[in-house]
Amino acid sequence: MIEISHLAKRFAVENPKKLSEQERKDPRLKGRFFHSVVDVSFTCQKGQVLGLLGPNGAGKTTTLRMLSTALRPDKGQINISGTDVLAKPILARQKIGFLSGSTGLYGRLTGRENISYFAQLHGMSDKQIESRIDELAELLDLHSFLDRRCENFSTGMKQKTAIARAVVHNPDVVILDEPTTGLDIMATQTVLEFIKLLKRENTPVIFSTHHLDEVAELCDSVTVINHGESCFNGSLDEFSTLSDGSLHQSFLHTLQ
Amino acid sequence: MWLVFKKELKELLRDRKSLFFMIALPVMLFPALFGVVAYFSGKAVTEAETKVLNYAVVGAQYAPELVDRLANNEQLSMVEISDSEDYKTFINRGDADFVLVIPESFSDDVLAGGQSVLQLYLNDAGLNLVYRRVNDVVDTLSKEYQQAAFTILSLDEKQAKGLMQPLKIEKNDVADQRENWGEKIGGFIPYLIFMLCLQGAMFPATDLGAGEKERGTLETLLISPIERINLVLGKFFLIAFAGVTSALITVSSMALWGVVLSQGMAIELVAEFMGAISAIDFVLMFLMLVPVVAIFASVLLSLSIYARSFKEAQGYMTPLVFVVIVPVILAMLPGVDLDGGWAWVPLTNVALAIKELIKGTMDYVALFAIFGSTAVIAGALLAFSVYWFNQEKVLFR
Repeated sequence: MIEISHLAKRFAVENPKKLSEQERKDPRLKGRFFHSVVDVSFTCQKGQVLGLLGPNGAGKTTTLRMLSTALRPDKGQINISGTDVLAKPILARQKIGFLSGSTGLYGRLTGRENISYFAQLHGMSDKQIESRIDELAELLDLHSFLDRRCENFSTGMKQKTAIARAVVHNPDVVILDEPTTGLDIMATQTVLEFIKLLKRENTPVIFSTHHLDEVAELCDSVTVINHGESCFNGSLDEFSTLSDGSLHQSFLHTLQ
Repeated sequence: MWLVFKKELKELLRDRKSLFFMIALPVMLFPALFGVVAYFSGKAVTEAETKVLNYAVVGAQYAPELVDRLANNEQLSMVEISDSEDYKTFINRGDADFVLVIPESFSDDVLAGGQSVLQLYLNDAGLNLVYRRVNDVVDTLSKEYQQAAFTILSLDEKQAKGLMQPLKIEKNDVADQRENWGEKIGGFIPYLIFMLCLQGAMFPATDLGAGEKERGTLETLLISPIERINLVLGKFFLIAFAGVTSALITVSSMALWGVVLSQGMAIELVAEFMGAISAIDFVLMFLMLVPVVAIFASVLLSLSIYARSFKEAQGYMTPLVFVVIVPVILAMLPGVDLDGGWAWVPLTNVALAIKELIKGTMDYVALFAIFGSTAVIAGALLAFSVYWFNQEKVLFR
């Protein structure tokens, strides 16, 4: 189970003159600081898929980065299956698999080397790595390109390899930051299939997206973030009943 | 840490572009360029030496002997010049390479006529050996006249010699060969090695920091369960390793090609010079380089991770070259030595110490202080790198 309560994160604004018109009007800009995330809370149970929605700049990426330990929150608590993420970030990292739409690979390494590098960083033994990569190659159909250099991969191949790399250590939770943004239809399908697979395996998934059809297809629960605050927490059914079944309308409704 | 190092090394070795800059360029291209320059300059000199020069003589009737000598020289060819001609336009028009004007007062009897001054008109811009070639002819004749005068005065050889140069200084250098050459080239060697280390480290450094950001691999790496310090150290060691390797490859390739190209010409001298430097001094020189390379590697890594992209990183690193050049050039200046306050200037002191080691005049106690202070700076910069790698504003710009 993943539990996030009252997260907050602010960034120092180095040059206020460089801010865009929209950013200047944002109520979260206070003096020399931009309060990107003000108060975000949600929970995700085992085997659940949680969709994180919100307009651009709402604080989704910042929230997920705090969850993945890349950023340190100023306030709040994060708990992943009993581990306090803020107190023991290194331990927590072993439980997290993270992937975003812009995640890259080391082009001069082969797919296999990319995956095993991260497996080694996770402290896995050579034997474990070999069997796990075989398993993932079967699952994601990587065999045909696994031993080729990544620089020549198609986006689909890249994304499959990146997925395998993200879950090579059997994480307790998988966090995906706009995993389908910028991908073609085939690659998108790969990601969606993969989320379904995780769901079948009872691994909780938290993912942010702008595509409401993905939410309808995959999610059990929905969290909407607006201006750095979580303004809706609930199941998919609760979300869709906000406005007679149209998710778009529901989404707009939560922002009001 | 070694995991990161090994992976980065594997990536570096698979990158043709960086390998080209690190190995192929110094091993093949630089010597080839030097070779081409040497070939063409050699050819130009030979051409200037053997080219047949056209000349005109004014006042030939005053010195028939000299005119004869010039005419007998196979590589000189006489042309006519009219009395009214302007020498400058005559030469610049290409009618002759030089005009020699013999004065009316010319005399072959030194005792009667004294010194005769010949005027040589030539276009001296560009490579030409006109003066030398005319002087060869004139000088022979001049010596003969001198000898004739001595004979008339019935001076013996001893007196003649004394008359020509009553006082003479003979130089006795107490500096041995090593110190002498060390002073001349000792300042240049650290300059070369520092620059090569910096250049060699630059490309991998860009790739390891800004490159990770640009490719979108940094975030994944940061959230893998490895202590940040190990991540930094892995990258740091690779950059330092690349810098040293590339410098060593270049220096040995230069030495090798130097031997091949000079073909035993000055080899004895070089071998003697190198032989005078003990193995311990070589080891000490290498040890002095260690903290310097560490300084370069940590600064480069910090700059690289701060940059958003490859291009930005390169923009930050170019000025660094100038920052490094200045203290090293200072060490090459005469009068700058370890006795003064220079022992406390970072980089300059190491360059000076290497120079002293080459000369064989190093005060080994001072070496500890220099090594120590440079190591402290390197350590501080490395610590800064680690701190820098923990800053969110640096990583997620």
